[in-house]
Amino acid sequence: MSPEATVSVSPMLEMRGISKRYGRVQANDAVDLEVSEGQVLGLLGENGSGKSTLMKVLFGMVKPDRGTIQFKGELLARHSPREAISTGIGMIHQHFMLVEAMTVLENIMLGWSRAGAWLRREQIGELIRQTSLSYGLELDPAALVGELPFGQRQRVEIIKALVRGAELLILDEPTSNLSPPEISSLLTVMRRIADQGRAIIFITHKLGEVFDVCDEVVVLRDGRVVGKSLIANATRSGLAHLMVGRDVSTELNRVDRRPGAEVLVMRGVGMRDSSGRERLHDIDLSLREGEIVALAGVDGNGQTDLVDVLAGLKYPTRGTITVSGRDLTRATITDRLANGVAYIPVDRATTSLVPGMTIEENLGLRDFDQPPFRRGFWLNHRAFRKQAEARISEFRIAASGPDAPVQTLSGGNQQKVVIAREIGRNPKVLIAFQATWGLDPGATRFVVDQIMALRSHGGAVLYISSELDEVLMLGDRIGVIADGCLLGLAPRNQVDITKIGLMMAGHRELSGLT
Amino acid sequence: MSASLPTPPEIDRSDQADQSEIPSRVVARNEDADFWRRMLLALLAVSLSFVVAAVPILLSGKNPLLAYWALIRGAFGSVDSIAFALNKSTPYILAGVGVALCFRARVINIGGEGQIAVGGIAASWIALNAPGLPGSVLIPLALLGGGCAGAAWAAIAAGMRLVRGVHEVLGTLLLNFVGLLLVSEVLHGPMGEVGAGFPQSPLFPEQAWLPTLLPGTDLHAGILLALLAVVLCHLVFWHTPFGFRLRLLGSSDAAAAYAGVSVVRSLLSVMLIAGGLAGLAGAVEVLGVHYRLIQGFSGGFGFNAVAIALLASLNPIAVLPAGLFFGFLETGALAMQREIGVPSSLVFVIQGLAMIFVLCALGISLRRQRI
Repeated sequence: MSPEATVSVSPMLEMRGISKRYGRVQANDAVDLEVSEGQVLGLLGENGSGKSTLMKVLFGMVKPDRGTIQFKGELLARHSPREAISTGIGMIHQHFMLVEAMTVLENIMLGWSRAGAWLRREQIGELIRQTSLSYGLELDPAALVGELPFGQRQRVEIIKALVRGAELLILDEPTSNLSPPEISSLLTVMRRIADQGRAIIFITHKLGEVFDVCDEVVVLRDGRVVGKSLIANATRSGLAHLMVGRDVSTELNRVDRRPGAEVLVMRGVGMRDSSGRERLHDIDLSLREGEIVALAGVDGNGQTDLVDVLAGLKYPTRGTITVSGRDLTRATITDRLANGVAYIPVDRATTSLVPGMTIEENLGLRDFDQPPFRRGFWLNHRAFRKQAEARISEFRIAASGPDAPVQTLSGGNQQKVVIAREIGRNPKVLIAFQATWGLDPGATRFVVDQIMALRSHGGAVLYISSELDEVLMLGDRIGVIADGCLLGLAPRNQVDITKIGLMMAGHRELSGLT
Repeated sequence: MSASLPTPPEIDRSDQADQSEIPSRVVARNEDADFWRRMLLALLAVSLSFVVAAVPILLSGKNPLLAYWALIRGAFGSVDSIAFALNKSTPYILAGVGVALCFRARVINIGGEGQIAVGGIAASWIALNAPGLPGSVLIPLALLGGGCAGAAWAAIAAGMRLVRGVHEVLGTLLLNFVGLLLVSEVLHGPMGEVGAGFPQSPLFPEQAWLPTLLPGTDLHAGILLALLAVVLCHLVFWHTPFGFRLRLLGSSDAAAAYAGVSVVRSLLSVMLIAGGLAGLAGAVEVLGVHYRLIQGFSGGFGFNAVAIALLASLNPIAVLPAGLFFGFLETGALAMQREIGVPSSLVFVIQGLAMIFVLCALGISLRRQRI
């Protein structure tokens, strides 16, 4: 932990002058990186800063153009991921590489020669139990992975890497899908792993976590190392500045305005899926003009069902949904659009955008069947073009023109297309689901600003996200969605963050607590 | 929303510099500018298939250059051969453009074979059972009947998919066999010609024959229908809300649903269109070429239609050259066999190779595009 300790040890990993170019993009430019035994190194950077490329180079998934890697004093070159694992490097990807239909034990044995030609279930099971015990990672080897919650699956990945002898663990954005209690337990485990003489590279863009667990932090921007510091000498604002290359003002311009009339009203909305499981439980919610209701929650707790029911992609089995007094419970998407309900889904690649279509077509994606985009039997290409030109300049979409395919845009500009379409229609109600997902801080800020602007113009917004920070920043009223229930909705000045964390982890425990 | 909104500082400058140049090079409108590049690739791939197919010709001790010369002369050497090749291309183009629309919407309709067969039956039945009607009524009626029958045949598969969740690959494939056997059935039963040694129907009355375009040749009016179908499908696909729906559906179900597109309605309509075009192809074949229904009249058309649609990389307008390529190739092959002694089945090798090379070339070009 102390600065002296980390400096004196000769580094376990030394990456020198790593460069990698993809076409015209210099993903890594002469990057140096050192990690020592017992150290947790934070690798900080925006999306596209070159973190993932660097780690792929280290793990042998990508060949660098230049540079050398020394691991435990030996040179690593032209290695495959399999060789990386056998020399003691373990990588835990953001998206788990687990077979859901198999047990924990089977997943860990999978593709591992030590599991034996005839599988040695007993011994390996015992090994798993011991390892999990020594790191405080309770795990049942016989459990089916498909039935485990997200945090537990991550433990499977960690144990898988540990029992294979990983001395250097790479964790790629490990906290992005966890609830606050799960995050803090993960950070504890990471600390314990490092204290036993292993090393960890922790990839993240969340500053708070860096300060909680790291010994040292390296900041990447545009493929270059722009900062390197012991955590004791770092400051939050300093790191943030390094990451984006400018000051990100954290102040929101929240115009003080009294919420107006009720716009969106949900009464006792419940939904059962085709297998008969209750996905939503009697949700009551009223949303007023110029108000943002923000809901936090860990992914998979009914958020998708809630937004689908509101957007008209699914229909509730009980209850009613009205917008400005008009019953839209079973209205079609087109009806909802006509009644001022806009929707920003989480998934750009397959839902809110068609990557192969042009910007102008994507901007008209939800209105192509209405005038002026439809003229009689034909599409009115000129109307598409006209709208696109206006939106591109109004929302500052960086593109070569309205006829550029959306797939050629950066993630931030893609989301601007979605924002331009949904907010540009000046909706009465905006349903935004993880609207900043996968965006860098600059683009995130743009989305947040646009939502705040809609609020000042009297729009009502339901913002749903698993990023607690964002929910706290945006919401006029803040609540939690857990297990399909809407919990603890309260005005922003009366919010208890601890309570929210507990509710996110599961409301049943909470009702036991209070 | 106005310009007075807080303007966000741009931070991904380097990204933009890189990306703003790419689109102009890759595509202007989604397809139009890219079209010629793809056509060039397809031509190269086709040429390559001829080069490779020269190997078996050499192995059989024949000169490939002579063989190909015979093939070219056989295909283009006379007005008759051109007429013959155009007639051969007609059903390919009609059925192929329907398949292209379906595949574009990710509806995998491989039931052209059965839809053509059923279309032929219906057109034949009308031609045989409406004596006394003048040609100007009878021919459109028979064509319409063929189209409707094909559409109905496709609708069965669509219905199975929508109501019972049977995938359309399965439904259309199996209905092919039923359709083909139905031709046998009616020819051995109610529609068969009494006393003929071959399962065929009686000759249609002359007013039911499709008019020929060039006097003295076999070229019938079907090719005009094929042209019209290609142009209409192109316009519908790129310039109407319906085509927009198909493109959305082809992209992802989630995007289609989000845009308010009814998957049920779109799937049903595109199947009906493709089935109708295939049925029309069957009708054109019996009314324009054979003047009667004969067993096996649709031999392989439906499957070739799939190949042609893929060769055209599912672009409706490109189905025209792809269909013509197949038609002329098969016509020339007969001459090649006659004159050089290279078996005409070699063209199946060329067709197969052309398909493989085109798919590879387009696959590579797509991958290049994405970067």
